[in-house]
Amino acid sequence: MVRTLLKSTFCSVFVLLKVDHTDEQKMAAGFNWFLVLSSVFLCNLVKSFLPAISSFLSKIFQKDADQEMEMRTEIQNMRMELSTISMMDEFARYARLERKINKMTDQLKTLVKSRTAQQSKMKWTVKIVFYILQAALMISIILKYYAEPVTVVPSKWIAPLEKLVAFPSGVAGGVGITCWLVVCNKVVAIGLHAVS
Amino acid sequence: MEVNEESASARTAAQRRAEIRRRKLLMDSEDRMNKIVGFSKADADAVRSAMEPRFHLDLVRNEPWSSSTSSKRLSPHMTETSVSSSKMSERNGSSDAVGEDDVSRVRPRPRGELSGDELTHSPRRGLHKYLSRFDDAIKLRGQLANEKAAQDSGVESEELDSFCLFRLLGSVALAIFVRIFVCQYLSIFAPFLTLELGFMGLNKYFPKVEKKTQTTMLTSALLLSGIPAEVINRSMDTYRRMSDVFFDLCVYFFTFILCHELLMLFDSQMS
Repeated sequence: MVRTLLKSTFCSVFVLLKVDHTDEQKMAAGFNWFLVLSSVFLCNLVKSFLPAISSFLSKIFQKDADQEMEMRTEIQNMRMELSTISMMDEFARYARLERKINKMTDQLKTLVKSRTAQQSKMKWTVKIVFYILQAALMISIILKYYAEPVTVVPSKWIAPLEKLVAFPSGVAGGVGITCWLVVCNKVVAIGLHAVS
Repeated sequence: MEVNEESASARTAAQRRAEIRRRKLLMDSEDRMNKIVGFSKADADAVRSAMEPRFHLDLVRNEPWSSSTSSKRLSPHMTETSVSSSKMSERNGSSDAVGEDDVSRVRPRPRGELSGDELTHSPRRGLHKYLSRFDDAIKLRGQLANEKAAQDSGVESEELDSFCLFRLLGSVALAIFVRIFVCQYLSIFAPFLTLELGFMGLNKYFPKVEKKTQTTMLTSALLLSGIPAEVINRSMDTYRRMSDVFFDLCVYFFTFILCHELLMLFDSQMS
């Protein structure tokens, strides 16, 4: 009796677990479309913030930012001083100061040029890294859902395009990963464009 | 009296010399331009030698403007239409201004001139073509650079106009309606097609937004390859319309699937 009781308890627990596992599987399958949608949304969101990310990173890696500010303030001060000096009365001093200003302006221009080049380099690096990561994510999603559809609807609803929509899963009435990716990309792009 | 006669003859001689100098300068300017452009001197000489009798015919009339017009004809930079128009105007001018003798002298000119002109037409045409294509390529490059600069500065050229927004909302509303009431009876794409036909009809009731034609690498390449701009514009317009329909389809399908999944979720939770 104890044995049968134990057996029945064990069986019921096993059945429950199996049901739970099956339910979890169903839940996971049910939310595949949401997972793909959220991945696409995340990618597009990060893409829209790329300029801000690249400028933030270039500010972190920039070494001569303070020096540039100092030079600018110094040039401004010298220009103010130059405006107070009379060219007729103190020509030598005027010329000396003007030469100093010109020299510092040239140095500043060189600094700004190098900073701009560094910024554009950083921008390109960030863009390339993002596109690589995005491509890797999309490829992994496609490989994961290559054989199974992200969601299933009655096939007569999506006639006559059921084969195209189901590609590459081949499941009748299923929505394939490629179709869902394209749709999500379009919708998320326009949604973010409208919000921005 | 003798002094007066001498001075009159000196003036006419001076005038003649001035006329000759002017003609020489005009011819030289043409040579200079030919050298700059790369029109070979041998070709020019051959052409000039072929043209000389007619040129000489023009000189017989002793009209100051004839030399300038005929020298213009010799220039390789004249387009065919301008050459033909100058020829036509000259023929008209000649028929009006000159008597029968001159007309008889002038009459053989057009036929002879044609054979001489044909020699110059093919290199001139090729040169014109090259120059015009080069100009177009430079202009397109400038336009591309400007548009790229505008894009980099963050200027958004395309905005959602009222009709676009109307299409968006219409697609969403129809998708929800179809999911709740219609999908059990027929395919979901049939109402969508009806919706698109409706949009095509309603398009004229919305204010038209002038969309600026964007110069891209593709349009520049097509323009430079000789395809007329009108054909490119029409193709781009058709492509734009197709992309609008595709966008509506994406929104419609997305809303339908989202609605379906939400309904399934609520049903499972309720049960």
